[in-house]
Amino acid sequence: MATTKPRLSSFSRNLSAVSSSQTPGVKCGPNGTMFVSSGIADLDRSLVMVMEDAEAPHHMLLLRNFMSQGLVHGQPLLYASPSKDPRGFLGTLPSPASLKHDKSRDRESEQEKGLRIAWQYKKYMGENQPNFDSHRDNKQDYCNEFDLRKPLERHYFTRQRVNCVGIQDSKNLAALQEHCASFLAQHQRNDGSCALAGRIAIQSLCAPQCEHSNMDWEMLSFIKSLKGMVRSSNAVVVITFPPSLLSLSSTKRWQHMADTLLSVAAIPDEDKELAKLLSGYQDMVGLLNVHKVARLNTQVPFILEATTFSIKLQKRRFLVLECLNQAPVDGSSGSSYGTSGSCSGSSKAGTLDF
Amino acid sequence: MADTICRTLRDGGLEGEHAPALTIKDSKASPFGFDVFNYVLTQLSNYILAGKSQSRGLVVVAYSRSPSFYVDLLKRRGIDIASSHDWIHILDCYTDPLGWKNWLIDKDISQEASSLSSFCQDVRNLDKLYSLIIEQGKGLIGQGKDRFSIAIDSVSEMVRHASISSVAGILSNLRSHDQVSSIFWLLHSDLHEIKFTSVLEYLSSMVASVEPFNQAAFGQRVDLENLSMLEQNFRKGKFHVRFKRRNGRVRVMVISMFLYFCGECADLLYRKSSYIYFTPLLV
Repeated sequence: MATTKPRLSSFSRNLSAVSSSQTPGVKCGPNGTMFVSSGIADLDRSLVMVMEDAEAPHHMLLLRNFMSQGLVHGQPLLYASPSKDPRGFLGTLPSPASLKHDKSRDRESEQEKGLRIAWQYKKYMGENQPNFDSHRDNKQDYCNEFDLRKPLERHYFTRQRVNCVGIQDSKNLAALQEHCASFLAQHQRNDGSCALAGRIAIQSLCAPQCEHSNMDWEMLSFIKSLKGMVRSSNAVVVITFPPSLLSLSSTKRWQHMADTLLSVAAIPDEDKELAKLLSGYQDMVGLLNVHKVARLNTQVPFILEATTFSIKLQKRRFLVLECLNQAPVDGSSGSSYGTSGSCSGSSKAGTLDF
Repeated sequence: MADTICRTLRDGGLEGEHAPALTIKDSKASPFGFDVFNYVLTQLSNYILAGKSQSRGLVVVAYSRSPSFYVDLLKRRGIDIASSHDWIHILDCYTDPLGWKNWLIDKDISQEASSLSSFCQDVRNLDKLYSLIIEQGKGLIGQGKDRFSIAIDSVSEMVRHASISSVAGILSNLRSHDQVSSIFWLLHSDLHEIKFTSVLEYLSSMVASVEPFNQAAFGQRVDLENLSMLEQNFRKGKFHVRFKRRNGRVRVMVISMFLYFCGECADLLYRKSSYIYFTPLLV
């Protein structure tokens, strides 16, 4: 099918016609890039880094969704963690949300599309209803929502699909680098076509119990080499790290290395001031900030409409992100605010929607 | 309200969860961390003896006080020592931490204390210390699914003999051990770089800081005007607790703390008999 891609800048990559991706969860994007869905739309980039908050485990919620989605769609996974038993974490991965839940949310979002209310906070997950690709995988409809109360079925954890690496006991990062290199070598890009995409999840890279945690330059060069390797592969990497345990200059360097940079933050409990300021405070468990969004093969920056999201667990089961700093809508134009990537959403699919 | 932290340690962790971990942090401006440590130790011991806690035993890793001190402390608080070998064990990292003595003289510790304690003569080897703690803990609770608690009387002493990553490693491994119900430790924050304090705060689920009652008075030249405020700082303090709750939110509490010296023994360096009281802070 012939589609005209919107020209976002003077520079655009010459592309051979690439048909829509055969691989579920992988989509062709502008400027010759491939997007791999990470479970949370708009985070689909090569190297995503999440700054942890030492006082809250919200980065684990993001990792769980990321890992579950990959496994559910048959994407191989490499998971590295400082715990003694990394494989044990797989037991906490959520199962895809049941169809019954999806249908009721579909009805709700149909109704909401008709509304033209200024600055309503739409559920971030709700706008990214999957656009069902005709080439979708037979086994599993493309899934963005997961039920945290229902563990993922064990048959997804086969050794061929999941490789778990412990990083606490190694003297340095050489072993982890080796694992990542061999994993990524299996997912090399070939002339624009996509082999099966892979996912790497590295939890708390500079955790204090790891011996390499005081080797600042080693860790930085590991990240740099991983970023280089992942550029030429069909994979996405998510690394979480607690910046409070790094020096300020190291933190800045790590932030610069990231293609996409997020941070999570805890919120105080029973805080009356905050309860007055934020609607829905009772349901919030934390905050997510988007600091940087990758723009590969282009010089046009991505200006975000909203950068702060509240993290909620709907019915304690479903991870929901809602933006906090949405400006009021210009009522005269009659159209809702923003393009893809913003919270208000629009009725047509954005380029980054899956 | 300070009992909230004791109750959290008492209740322990859920199946598959890391054990709750408390950091008690003080500094020379308000040097009452050790009194708070003793308070928590006593409370937890009472819960264990009454059968109200998840844990059935307590291992005390004693770096800065000898086992005899802890035996005397528990006796003064009215806790039954005679049957103590059933539920408490003290790992003595105080008497001969580096193995300098070829033989250990009996007079080093009292008879009572020696029946409840064992020596650790190489505190540099934290893998060995980890094994010792687990072995002693299992010895207290026997076979089965019971759990035990751990108290470390000073991680400030621990890190003198080992690297930050190995201290972080042993604490993290203890927290994630199936049979550890709860763990708490004392830290003198002004002895270390900020990084080490941050590491311990990262590893714990509760951080209790002891702060001076009159922040402004500390560090100033002593004269008649601020003398009374400085004196107050040696009898009162603020107790500031941050809880990391299971839902990912952080609960903050600030209360007053009073130190009461019993009898004539008011030596701040080695308080033999002092009691600590907590009251709500009137702002």
